Amino acid sequence: MPDMKLELQVNGRKVTRRADPGQRLLDFLRDELNLTGTKEGCGAGECGTCSVFVDGKLVKSCLMPAAKAQGADIQTVEGLARPGDLDVIQKAFHKTGASQCGYCIPGMVMAATSILREAPEASLDEIKERMGGNICRCTGYSKIIEAVALARDVVTGRASPAALDPETVGDSFIGHNVRRLDAPSKVTGRLKYAGDMVMPDMLHMAVLRSPHAHAEILSIDTSEAEAMDGVACVITADDVPGKDGFGVFVHDQPIMARGKVRHVGEAVAAVAAEDVATARRALKKIKVEYRELPGLYDPEDALQPGAPVIHDYAPDNVVKHIPIRKGDIEAGFAAADLILEDEFTTQQVEHAYLEPEAGLAYVDADDVVTVISPSQNITHHRHMLSEIIARPINKVRFIMSPVGGGFGGKEDMIYQGMLALAAMKTYRPVRLVFTREESIIASAKRHPSRVKYRMGLTKEGRITAIKFDMLSDGGAYGMSSEGVMRKAAILSCGPYEVENLQVDTTAVYTNNTPSGAFRTFGGMQAQFATESMIDIAAERLGLDPFEIRRRNMMRAGSLTHTQQKLDSASIGRVLAAAEAASRWEPGAPRMRGPERGDLGGPGTRAPCTLGARFEASKDGKERVA
Amino acid sequence: MLTFDRYEMPATLPEALALWADAPAGARLVAGATDILPWAREGRAGDVDLPLGIDLSRVAELQGYERHGGRVRLGANVVWQDFLDTPELARWLPVMPYCAVWFADDQIRQQATLAGNLVNASPAADGTPPVLALNGELELCRWAGDHILCRTMRVEDFVTGPGATRLAPGELVNSVTLDCADGYGASFQKVGQRRSLVISVACVAALVKLDETGTRFADVRLALGGVGPVPERLRDIEDRLKGEPVDARLIADAAAATAARVASRSRIEYRRRVVPGFVRAALEEAADRARKEAAHA
Ligand SMILES: Cc1cc2nc3c(=O)[nH]c(=O)nc-3n(C[C@H](O)[C@H](O)[C@H](O)COP(=O)(O)OP(=O)(O)OC[C@H]3O[C@@H](n4cnc5c(N)ncnc54)[C@H](O)[C@@H]3O)c2cc1C
Ligand code: FES
Ligand code: FES
Repeated sequence: MPDMKLELQVNGRKVTRRADPGQRLLDFLRDELNLTGTKEGCGAGECGTCSVFVDGKLVKSCLMPAAKAQGADIQTVEGLARPGDLDVIQKAFHKTGASQCGYCIPGMVMAATSILREAPEASLDEIKERMGGNICRCTGYSKIIEAVALARDVVTGRASPAALDPETVGDSFIGHNVRRLDAPSKVTGRLKYAGDMVMPDMLHMAVLRSPHAHAEILSIDTSEAEAMDGVACVITADDVPGKDGFGVFVHDQPIMARGKVRHVGEAVAAVAAEDVATARRALKKIKVEYRELPGLYDPEDALQPGAPVIHDYAPDNVVKHIPIRKGDIEAGFAAADLILEDEFTTQQVEHAYLEPEAGLAYVDADDVVTVISPSQNITHHRHMLSEIIARPINKVRFIMSPVGGGFGGKEDMIYQGMLALAAMKTYRPVRLVFTREESIIASAKRHPSRVKYRMGLTKEGRITAIKFDMLSDGGAYGMSSEGVMRKAAILSCGPYEVENLQVDTTAVYTNNTPSGAFRTFGGMQAQFATESMIDIAAERLGLDPFEIRRRNMMRAGSLTHTQQKLDSASIGRVLAAAEAASRWEPGAPRMRGPERGDLGGPGTRAPCTLGARFEASKDGKERVA
Repeated sequence: MLTFDRYEMPATLPEALALWADAPAGARLVAGATDILPWAREGRAGDVDLPLGIDLSRVAELQGYERHGGRVRLGANVVWQDFLDTPELARWLPVMPYCAVWFADDQIRQQATLAGNLVNASPAADGTPPVLALNGELELCRWAGDHILCRTMRVEDFVTGPGATRLAPGELVNSVTLDCADGYGASFQKVGQRRSLVISVACVAALVKLDETGTRFADVRLALGGVGPVPERLRDIEDRLKGEPVDARLIADAAAATAARVASRSRIEYRRRVVPGFVRAALEEAADRARKEAAHA
């Protein structure tokens, strides 16, 4: 590794270090200077979590070799306010609640700072345009933009600094802008996520992943990798001392592939080394012999007789089937004036939380195997790991680090086991930080689904019967599939009272990336089908879509699909609010296109364009172009 | 992950060229690094260890710009944000700010160079169409033992295919020279999956100059990107419009013919629908801005 004397100013202080000039400025700041408020969400310029000022210009430090900062004046999020204090922008973020998981927030604060320096009078449109390089997966941007506008108003004297003070709250918090307790640590970059944590003598892990979707592992030779300088250990499934297997419902997934791989990206082996580069180089020295097996890529194929079997315990490839029966659908369809049939499919979706998976494990002085990670399910993980590493539960500890966005995607114990094994093998702390690509290839996704729908209705629009058949692609491992199928079944026919129904939801194994928990937990896929069917029915029957929903909605006293009697139901109020907010023009939803009076207008978004900054500013200052 | 066995930051052009002339196989020039760093990642080149990186960002001769008559010479280190932040450049090259605002984001534009965009030669590069429209030429220089040897080449000839150029071994781009288009109205249209940080599915650069009466096309420059292996200048359409009255029907007719230019490998149907609409919008917007420009003058 080359090294060079780097001399620069960082947050007003002179810094001199011998360092690799070709490393990214991001790594230099995080690893050499411990300035971990600057985050790595993608490493490819796409997210804005790594933004820093270099000689007054905001840049993405993941795209800048450190040598370019020679002699430069660098400002990071840590340098915006005095320690323990917040500047105007940080206060505004605190005030408006513009931080959820917080992982994007240091970058957002930096982008906002740049805007107020470059264009203090920026309009809302211009603020949005200038924040275009920063992604947030949690807040939905409204509060962030609100915070920037508030800070702008305070800075330009349009609002008094008192606007940044907390709102006075009376007896009730409801309807008030209540500040988050953890916001100051997020807006300053002070909060440590797992990937920001370091321990003395810490090793770094890299994971070898399967290039095949379905293959038998004939052999794994780790000797060459183990012999490399800087490599502390290599682990495979053979290092698991206890009963291997984890999963939210069924424990069908080994810590690392055992005997065969079931999806592209499955962990096969892992290296712990002195630094990440060495660990990654060592991966290339691990030799794995595979014998490819016929794979399953479509859930329909998984159910065919003679289909390849992915898990021996499930020869029919079914992860879970949830049936619900209520009333008599034959009679219901016989009573219908109109029977509609259709099919609805939804695709796989990645959570894309801005914090890629990361964790740190160590064995403490009392031989307690400790794993720190943004796990959404630490208690369950602790119990599973205790079995897997064959240690009593009091010798296994899980610490939940701040979760930089989870949305269900961090419920699965897909890497904590590897960290524990490496820590046990080396008695040194071991840290693993996924790359963005690794996060996408290895983590669970929203279930792709296909619903075959049959709905009977009377002329008046009352539903007489529903047959709902959902087939979901569970991917290679069970993960949360069982719960997702259950929730999809419970919510299947929507908030409507249906006397006769037959609902089946089934998740099957394939060799695709595993599906798991994802916001709505199966509800979205089911509602997409049901609500679409109701719109189609409204069109066919010439009814207003709100009206047909009112005619079917659950009320106090209704029996749900699983035959629970409701004491109350709010769908009527929801419909009324939605109808008013959308300025809905009543009538059947026939294609009326541009004649509709309720399209466009307040609350709708203008077509997507850029160039707000070209509009002349109000003070008449000359602006570019 | 990108690692370098050696990373050099030459301060002068002779130093840079000498390093480049002696560079081991696999060495790379680095400008803004906004293409190189994301290239060395999983799914693309994967982990790459380069024997040498020659960082051009401190080379004095590559900084800044100067105007010579009707042409402006941009040093290779001119970055995209310069077209937004330097009023002079925006006036001389009126299409560049409109292109720049759609280019990556405010932060990447502080690093990314126009020269790097041209050398990277992506079929979807946003920089190439406006440069073609402005009759862009490159100055390509190399070290000839004891002196610098340079040649010029039109950008139209330089980019030969996706990622392929006529850059010879040992050569680097010293400057990009463009027509000054003061008084032209300009437009840049781009469609991708979102506004910022997005690769063009298709893009169009247009420049329009009106005659003294403000009703006829005196000059038209039009170039398309993202719809074939290399960006393309649409001279036949330019010729068809030059001298004609600015008329919505004529513009629409001329634009309709551009669907046939779509020669990409994917999403052909979509691109065929979107391109004529873009060309029309670009010509109308550029003509409109030319009118406003004339009113100002
Ligand atoms: C998130 C993101 C968004 C992006 N958005 C866009 C976009 O909207 N539109 C678009 O067109 N591009 C976009 N890009 C691509 C990239 O930013 C541009 O192509 C940029 O202009 C490249 O310039 P650079 O200076 O960073 O080049 P570098 O990465 O430094 O170099 C690119 C190539 O050119 C060579 N090179 C550089 N300078 C010279 C020289 N003087 N002489 C010879 N060879 C040279 C290098 O060796 C390398 O092969 C985006 C990239 C990212 C990461
Ligand atoms: S933009 Fe740098 S880490 Fe995402
Ligand atoms: S708060 Fe923005 S990504 Fe979580």
